[in-house]
Amino acid sequence: MKTLRFLFAMVAAKCAALGLRLLGRNATYLPGLIAVKLAPDFIGHLKKPETLICVTGTNGKTTTSNFITSVLKSTGKRVTNNSFGSNVQAGVAAALLLNANLFGKPKNDVAVIEVDERSSLKIYPYITPDYIVINNIMRDSLKRNAHTEFISFILNSAIPKESTLILNADDIICSHLAPQCEKRIYFGMDAEKPDHTEGMAAKDIVYCPACGGRLVAEYIRYNHIGRVKCERCGYGTPDRDFTVTAIDRENGTFTVNGEDYKLVNDNIVNVFNFCGAIALLTTLGVTHAEIVKAFETAEIVKTRFVSEALGGGRSLTMILSKGQNPVAVSRVFSYVSKCEGDDKCLLVMVDDKADNTNNVENTCWLYDLDYRPLLDKGIGQIIFAGKRCYEHQLRCAMTGIPAAKTAFVPEVAGSVNAIDLDRFKDIYLLYDNYLLDDARREEKALKGRCGA
Amino acid sequence: MTIEILFGETANLFGDMQNMEYLKKTLPDAAFVETALPDKPYFVDNTPDMLYMGAMTEHTQRRVIEALAPYRERLASLIDGGTLMLFTGNAGETLFRHISYVTEKIETDGLDLVPLTAKTDLFDRYNGKALGHLPGAAEAQAVGPVTGFRSQFSRWYGENADNAFLRMDRGMGLNEDSTLEGWRDRNLICTAVIGPILPLNPKLTEYLCSLMGVCVPAAFRDAAIRAWEQRVIEMEDPETRF
Repeated sequence: MKTLRFLFAMVAAKCAALGLRLLGRNATYLPGLIAVKLAPDFIGHLKKPETLICVTGTNGKTTTSNFITSVLKSTGKRVTNNSFGSNVQAGVAAALLLNANLFGKPKNDVAVIEVDERSSLKIYPYITPDYIVINNIMRDSLKRNAHTEFISFILNSAIPKESTLILNADDIICSHLAPQCEKRIYFGMDAEKPDHTEGMAAKDIVYCPACGGRLVAEYIRYNHIGRVKCERCGYGTPDRDFTVTAIDRENGTFTVNGEDYKLVNDNIVNVFNFCGAIALLTTLGVTHAEIVKAFETAEIVKTRFVSEALGGGRSLTMILSKGQNPVAVSRVFSYVSKCEGDDKCLLVMVDDKADNTNNVENTCWLYDLDYRPLLDKGIGQIIFAGKRCYEHQLRCAMTGIPAAKTAFVPEVAGSVNAIDLDRFKDIYLLYDNYLLDDARREEKALKGRCGA
Repeated sequence: MTIEILFGETANLFGDMQNMEYLKKTLPDAAFVETALPDKPYFVDNTPDMLYMGAMTEHTQRRVIEALAPYRERLASLIDGGTLMLFTGNAGETLFRHISYVTEKIETDGLDLVPLTAKTDLFDRYNGKALGHLPGAAEAQAVGPVTGFRSQFSRWYGENADNAFLRMDRGMGLNEDSTLEGWRDRNLICTAVIGPILPLNPKLTEYLCSLMGVCVPAAFRDAAIRAWEQRVIEMEDPETRF
């Protein structure tokens, strides 16, 4: 039964969406905000699409949900998603209301919704997803997410027991989430198994949550990602249903459960993301051939990763590196260090733009950020640009990175001029998501310098 | 010189371990003993020059209290004896009289070495900054403004007028109604300032080293001072939000 309050909220939100569109603006947040302000249980009154898929976790939500959406669309499904909007309650409400008629009936068969972990408590009480893909639970912005036990507490409290979970088995925190859910599918990776049992960065789980015994690692890829088992009670990494068994960088493929897929991006975190998507899509009945076909045209959104030749033997790779998120930026540093080349130059702009405007950015995350990949001999120049550059200078010194290969520039604008183009061919521009416009400006300036 | 890091593998939420990495560079000849949660702490049978513990999850906090409870009297005698102890974030709460975990509805007695209490609410997070100075005039002069960050579920309660670690120039003290931050009893320091307080404050690092009888410059002093000065300028700016 639709309440008058819901109908009023729906009309108001639809009017707002129409108005925004007439003004040529996105209607991906405000209409949802109006809806949930007027009717906090608004989402619950909407009729669920035939299949409702949510994607959550610390890193990889957008890449995964975008890929799932594009595959499903390529199979002929009509899909709603919030990839261009917000992943908090208002953004989710906006996506779902735009997919609904005035009475809340959905227009599209499938909804693929990216959900911010912390917003789970305001979303899952009102909707029960058929599937929830959870990529990982990692150390994130400490101001927003505090710590992984807090995020686990939220997800455990919010996730409906009827949902089927698609979980990263190799993340011991993620794989044990929401024990109330009996239907669980695990994905993970055997390929490129590391030979070390200790990661370089801080782990967010060391002791068994069940008995307090030490978790002993068979191997650790990074942070707490790997295979572990409690020395006392056997609590540990579950068996996987979908496993990446090989990554063939030369031929650009990776293999899941014996079947090959195009390697869209060879960063290991993205291979995990794609494996999670494959696990979900296969479970939904999408065939290997259909997924392969979608992979052929798939690419990481250009605002997140783009690589191109600049001419003169130079290349530019731009990689989104979320500031305030030490694991995400550490993984990017690690990725760049492993990229081929002996004359790499990094321009790093990862300050929090909002936090540096009449504010002082909380820089504790820089002390969780693993700078050690920057010791790589193939990296010849590293430029940190932005107000917090002197903090990076201290961290580089603490890490033992030679001062001669570093530069610290307080202004982002014009920082590209610090790149020594005579010496370095492979340029990497790492930028926070709120510095995308600045990154594009610097990209343009760099191309100008290169005559590209 | 020996410095014991208590439970560093799990009490390290906000970059806290870089305090110890910074101290290793500042005191290259010092020995660092890392004690794991199930192990008997080094301080039980030895007298370290310094004890350090960083921020932890609420669940870990309860385990730490259990782990340290058998050694409460030893810790008390080390405090009486003037051993330098630095507890950052919520680590100091383990020494408090009591912690109320409002969300989880759990009441836990701490080690009762500090006459404060803490109330922890997972749905009431405080994020902020800290700008303060040590209470003594000579110390404040030597150390200068202490800068840092706060991010916590807990608020602290009790009387610390004669035992504050910092008099706040800007930012919260024990709680929103207080301008006196943390607890200082001889060389025991409990501060809710999180994470890398030592590299963020090189002069404070030098001051703490002096409490251990060592007068040395903080590691990478020029770079650390430059970053600190920049932060002080920004934090003292009245336009800066706290």
